[in-house]
Amino acid sequence: MTVLWRAVRSVPPWVLATITGVLALCLPFLNLDYAVGRQIQLGLILALIVSGIGLSLGYAGQLALGQAAMYAAGAYSAGVLAIRGVTDVLVQLLVSGTAALLIGLLTGVIGLRLGAWSLAMTSFFLVLMIPDVLDVFESTTGGRTGLSGIPPGTVFGSVLTPRDFFLLIVVVSLLWFAVVRNIVTSRHGVAFQVLKESEVLAASTGVSVFRMKLIGYAVGAIPAGLAGTLFANLDLFLAPTSFGLHLATSTLAAAVLGGMVSVYGPLVGALLVQLATWQAADFQEWALVVYGAFLILGGVVFGGGIAGLVRRGIRALDRRFLPEPVTDDTGGSAAGVPPLPGEELVVDGVSKAFGGNQVLTGVTLRAAPGRVTALIGPNGSGKTTLLNLVSGFYTVDDGRLRLGEVELTGLPAHQVARRGVSRTFQTPLVPPVISVRETVAAGRYSADRVSIIGALLRGPRHRAVSRRDREQVRDLLDLVGLARVADAEASSLPLGQRRLLEVARAIASRPKVLLLDEAASGLDEQEVAVLARLLGQVRDAGCAVVLVEHNFGLVLSTADEIHVLARGRLIASGPPAAIEADDRVRNEYLGIADEASVGGVA
Amino acid sequence: MTLLYSGLSLGAVYALVALGYNLVYLSSRAFNFAQAQLVMVAAFVAYTALVVFRLPWVVAALLAMAVLMVVAVIEERIALRLVTDHHTILITTLGFATLLDGAAERIWGSEALDVPFPGPEGAWSLLGGRLHTVDLALVLLAVLLVVGAHWYRRRFLSGIAIIGMSQDREAATLRGIDVRKLALITFAVSGALAGLMGAFVGPKTFALTTLGASMALKGFVALAIGGFGSLYGGLLGGFTVGIVEQVSARYLGAEFSHISVFAVLMLVLLVRPRGVFGRVRERVV
Repeated sequence: MTVLWRAVRSVPPWVLATITGVLALCLPFLNLDYAVGRQIQLGLILALIVSGIGLSLGYAGQLALGQAAMYAAGAYSAGVLAIRGVTDVLVQLLVSGTAALLIGLLTGVIGLRLGAWSLAMTSFFLVLMIPDVLDVFESTTGGRTGLSGIPPGTVFGSVLTPRDFFLLIVVVSLLWFAVVRNIVTSRHGVAFQVLKESEVLAASTGVSVFRMKLIGYAVGAIPAGLAGTLFANLDLFLAPTSFGLHLATSTLAAAVLGGMVSVYGPLVGALLVQLATWQAADFQEWALVVYGAFLILGGVVFGGGIAGLVRRGIRALDRRFLPEPVTDDTGGSAAGVPPLPGEELVVDGVSKAFGGNQVLTGVTLRAAPGRVTALIGPNGSGKTTLLNLVSGFYTVDDGRLRLGEVELTGLPAHQVARRGVSRTFQTPLVPPVISVRETVAAGRYSADRVSIIGALLRGPRHRAVSRRDREQVRDLLDLVGLARVADAEASSLPLGQRRLLEVARAIASRPKVLLLDEAASGLDEQEVAVLARLLGQVRDAGCAVVLVEHNFGLVLSTADEIHVLARGRLIASGPPAAIEADDRVRNEYLGIADEASVGGVA
Repeated sequence: MTLLYSGLSLGAVYALVALGYNLVYLSSRAFNFAQAQLVMVAAFVAYTALVVFRLPWVVAALLAMAVLMVVAVIEERIALRLVTDHHTILITTLGFATLLDGAAERIWGSEALDVPFPGPEGAWSLLGGRLHTVDLALVLLAVLLVVGAHWYRRRFLSGIAIIGMSQDREAATLRGIDVRKLALITFAVSGALAGLMGAFVGPKTFALTTLGASMALKGFVALAIGGFGSLYGGLLGGFTVGIVEQVSARYLGAEFSHISVFAVLMLVLLVRPRGVFGRVRERVV
């Protein structure tokens, strides 16, 4: 059994996909029963729509209910083109895909301004408007009575037979699923996962949250447009009733059923929904109830859909039959930190208030490259707020932030990150599902860029960057002693290892300044030692390190310069020895003051 | 004037849906997709009570409130309680809305049903325009409920607790507020209110299964205009949507009523995404 499973697992995933694809290409030549063939074609068309929902909701985390509208736009643009004499299906596909993308971009840009709900509602509204829009252009679209008299599609001038057309549907579907696969298995797929888990984290790795959501949503509209063209050419008749709320909910239910965070899950979900609609005579009457139940169940019980169940099954079999690699304690290795030329971080007279609560008042400090600058102070003294201001998560009320000669004041978080400011968080932000290796690779998103198109076409740049990703991630994992767990799910690691993982991710972005927010809290002694050594290495590599820390021992042993904050003001700055001897610091922070907490967990 | 009246009374329907959204939003920071469906179901319940069982109107309204309270509590139990993140709640409440759509269609069919309303038949004149009793009643109900909700929220401790909960669940729990119980109560109240609304909305719009989606969307536009969490904003937003819809249907044609409202939504999101009364809140890491 073990041998068998190991053999199964050693088959790369693309082999299975290729076999399925080849089988699918044979379907049109099997002389299937007309009804069966038609259901398969409708199922594939549905799968295209559902796959777009998967991209938008599963990866970009945006609930898009407008897929039915993009589908209608694609279908009608193809139908109208055909009636006007452009019967070439390839041209129609191009036009409908573009039309859907444009609608997606337009509604996305506006809908995303108010967050998830407003995008869901804006896109849902599109579906409600379909019959009205068709009515307004009744002379071209046929309004409520429908658009009839669509001439059959051609490719390069020759009319497609039903078999040719079946083949065309299969080819379009295969190509689209290949596109999805290439996008989601690239670093952009990981970036989507990161984004969905935490927008803060995504921004701190240099991902523009707005742009990424928009891309997921708008690209997710394309397959719906393509599906529209295919549907128009399959039935040669279009009516507004084909594109209603019923379609919107059935596609969403299919996405939830199949599993959205998956390339092929939507295909499975769509085929099952199509099968149910066809086979169960009563299904139409109960369809809405069933879809509704699916959506609730999908949200509450089986979040990953069928794809999630399969993934869980594989993991269970892995645990059963494949020996677990022995995890080493966080030993770390001799691998060095690559040179990280730093820049001086300048915080100049920064103030910040939340409502009437003045959190920081005129804080001025510098963090020089090649040095560890520690920031200490009691809880609530404004340390984390200062880091958040530097990272661009808050805007300063007064004062300025600079990195070398580069102005950081007022930049959004992802821009700050792209200029070389990297950080870890008080509570480690580690998205679920992705592996330790991918987590570190996520840090390289902005340091070594590849466009989505590049990733999609698997161009030379994508290959080169992927190779560098692999090499550098391996080195970094060696460095923090997590190489043995590289393929484990990142969120399953214990707290100490997650903190080290965050540090590795932060270093992966090749920062000029590294901000560490209580990196040592929750670490055991050995892990603190690893961290201390790591900080030393990063400093020696030339990076400016800013350490917010409660572990006074660690601060004294690693910091070159210490700044003490109390109630939003700097009360002391200087080398460790001076700070340790400072009376005010002893009172405010170390000594007898009520609010003091030394070495505690915040 | 007649146009203004019909716009206001239709707007009151959307304002009521927006009020439902707001109550749930203020108490649990969640968006209840099924709010409009609750009102839709209530209209059907009122129809059954009034036409099938021939109950007096007040009893029918009370019955609708009771039934919808139960439905809303069921919704809280199956679609919200077990789900923690807001993204998923959007999907599960949409699921519940779809389920209600489907169930209502199975029970009451897809024909529009005429829900009777007490008071004189026919329209009467006011300030040079004509309106029905139900139009006036709807506007009054919307205004009264919004003012009442606002007053209650300021006046009572549980109102303050709701504000506290919506700002920070954990902190509210630590202060001894039973967050779960409060969320359940909010749902029960919003369900009962939906029941009451249905008894008023049904006579205006007829009881119709496809109404849920359109009410949900227009209610949302009302909310977007007014700003999330702003009770008075939702009321004014509702009236705005109603008037825009009626005016565009009258002067541009019926097919433009949805399109115009959509255009308003786009405009609001472009110019003032926080709504007219919404407050900007800085993101916290």
